[in-house]
Amino acid sequence: MFSQNGLSLDQAPPISVVFRFFLSGSIFGLLAGILTLLFGTDIFNADTSQALILTHTLTLGVMLSFMFGALFQMLPVIAGVKLTAPVKKANLVQYPLVVGVLLLLSAFYTGKAVFFISASMLLGITIIGIAFIMLKNLLALPNHSHSTKGMTIALSSLILLTLFALYLTATLAGLLEGTLYSQVKTAHYSFGLFGWITLLIISISFQVIEMFYVTPAYPAFISKSLPLRLFGLLLLGSIGAFFFAQSWFFVDIVIVGFLLCYALMTLRRLSQRKRPIADATVWFWRTGMMLLVLSASATLTTRFHPIPSLQAINYIFFAGFALSIVFAMFYKIVPFLTWFHLNAQGYFTAPMMHEVIHPKTAMKHLYIHLATLAAFVVSVYFTPIIYLAGSLTLLSFGWMLWQIVHAWKLYVHTQKTGERFEMTIPKAKD
Amino acid sequence: MSISQFMTNEHRECDTHFATAEQAAANGNWEEAEKAFLTFSNETLTHFKREEDELFPAFETQTGNTQGPTQVMRYEHEQVKGLIGKMAEALEAQDKDAYLSLCESMMILLQQHNMKEEQMLYAMCERLLPPDLKEETLEKMKQVAL
Repeated sequence: MFSQNGLSLDQAPPISVVFRFFLSGSIFGLLAGILTLLFGTDIFNADTSQALILTHTLTLGVMLSFMFGALFQMLPVIAGVKLTAPVKKANLVQYPLVVGVLLLLSAFYTGKAVFFISASMLLGITIIGIAFIMLKNLLALPNHSHSTKGMTIALSSLILLTLFALYLTATLAGLLEGTLYSQVKTAHYSFGLFGWITLLIISISFQVIEMFYVTPAYPAFISKSLPLRLFGLLLLGSIGAFFFAQSWFFVDIVIVGFLLCYALMTLRRLSQRKRPIADATVWFWRTGMMLLVLSASATLTTRFHPIPSLQAINYIFFAGFALSIVFAMFYKIVPFLTWFHLNAQGYFTAPMMHEVIHPKTAMKHLYIHLATLAAFVVSVYFTPIIYLAGSLTLLSFGWMLWQIVHAWKLYVHTQKTGERFEMTIPKAKD
Repeated sequence: MSISQFMTNEHRECDTHFATAEQAAANGNWEEAEKAFLTFSNETLTHFKREEDELFPAFETQTGNTQGPTQVMRYEHEQVKGLIGKMAEALEAQDKDAYLSLCESMMILLQQHNMKEEQMLYAMCERLLPPDLKEETLEKMKQVAL
C-alpha cells in the first residue's frame, strides 16, 4: 500500500554519513586550489591535461562528493526512499571514489594506461553501482513528487555519462580504437554538466527552495516537464551527432533557453519568499542562479562567436554556479543536521543552528566565494591574478572544512557531556 | 473543500504568521513578534489537535494501521511543540540570536513535516477514506478548538 518508512524521520542516516562526504569534498576543494596555483592559467584551455585534471577534481572530487552526501540524506527523509545499511554503503562509495578520483587525475597527468584502467574500474563500478541502487529505490516509490522524478532522471544521466566516460578512458588506455571518441566526449560532458549537475540542482531546488525559504511552488511548466525535456534534448544531441554535425548547436540553444527560464524563475521565487530575512544561503542561491544566467548567455554567444576568453569565463561561471549551490545547501544542511540529530537523541543541550555555524560565518564565506570568482575572471585577462584565485580557493574550501570539523566536534562534545532524556513516541489513540 | 485543501491552507496560514513574527523579531519589534508568534503557535497547535483527534484516528480505523505514518507524524508534532516552547522562552528573554536560530530549525522541521503530510498523508486520506467519512471528518476537524 504505502511505505511507512517513507514518512519516518528514523530513516535519516547517521550524521557521519553526510559529514564524511562533505569532508572529502572539501579536501578535494583544497586540492583544486593547489592545482590552480600549480597550473596557472593553463586550466582555461580545454585542450590541456591541466584543464581536464582541474575539471575532474571539481566535478568528481568536490561536487560528486557533496551530491552523494546530500542524496544519502535527502533520499530517505524527503523522498521517502529507504536505503538500508547507509554507513556501509557510504563507505563502499566513498573510499573507492576518493582513490578512483586520485587515480584518474594521475592518469590524466601521466597518460599511463594502468592508471586509466584502475581508475575506470573503481569509479565505474562505484558510481554506476550506487546510482543504480538509488535509482532502483526511487523507481519503487509509490508517490512521486516533481523533485523525485527529477532526481531519477539526473541519476540516469549520471549512469549514462559514466558509461561514456568508460569508453573514453578505454580509448585513452589503448583498449579501444575510439572511432567515436569526439562524439562520445561531447555526450559525456553535456550529460555531466546539464544532465547530472544542473538537473540534480534543479530537482533538489523544486523541494528546497519552497521548503527552506517558504516560497510559492515552481510553476508546473517548469517542475513537471523541465527535467524530462532536458534529458530528451541531451539524448537527441548525443544521437543526432552521429548523423548531423550541427546537432549540438541546435540542441544547446534550446537547452540554454530552458536553463534561462529556470534560473530567472528561481530568482523570482527567491524574491517572493514569505520569510523576508535574507541569510547567506539565499545569497548563495542568488549568486548561483545569476551565474547560471551568465553561463547560459555566454554559451549562446560562443556558439555564434567562439571567443576563447569568453569560453574561459564561461568555465568560471558554470563552476561558480554549481559551487554556489553546493555552498547554499551546505550552510543549511550542516547546522540543521547537527541540531536535529542531537535533539532527536534527546539532548537538552543540543546546540542551536546558529551555534553550529553562525550566519555571520556563512556570510564571510559568501564574500570569500565572490572574491574567488572575481579573481578567476580577472585572471583570464591579467594572468598573475590566478595565484590570488588559487589562494582564495584554498581559503574558501579551508573555511568549509573548518565548519565541518567544528560541527563534528560540537556534535561529539554534546554526546559526551550533554544531558538527555529518553524521548518516547506517543501512542496512537485506539 | 477537501481535507487536503483545508489542511494545506492551514499550513500556509501558519507560515505567514511565523514569517511575520520572525521579521518583527529581526527588527527588534518584540511586541509585534510576540503577537504574531502567539497566533502562529495557537494555530499550529489547533491544527495538530485537528489531526490527532480526528484525522489520524479516521485514517487508522480505515487502514487498520496505528503504528505507521500517523505515529511518526505525532512524534514530529511533539518535536515541534518542544521547539515552540523554546521559541517562547527566547521571545520572553528578547534574545534575538536565539530566537532567529530556533526559527531556522523550526522552519526546516515544519516544512519537512508539512511536505510529508501534503504529498503523502493527506493524499492517502483523500484516496482511502470513503466520501461520507471524509466529509464527516472535515466537519469534525473544523469544530476542534484548543
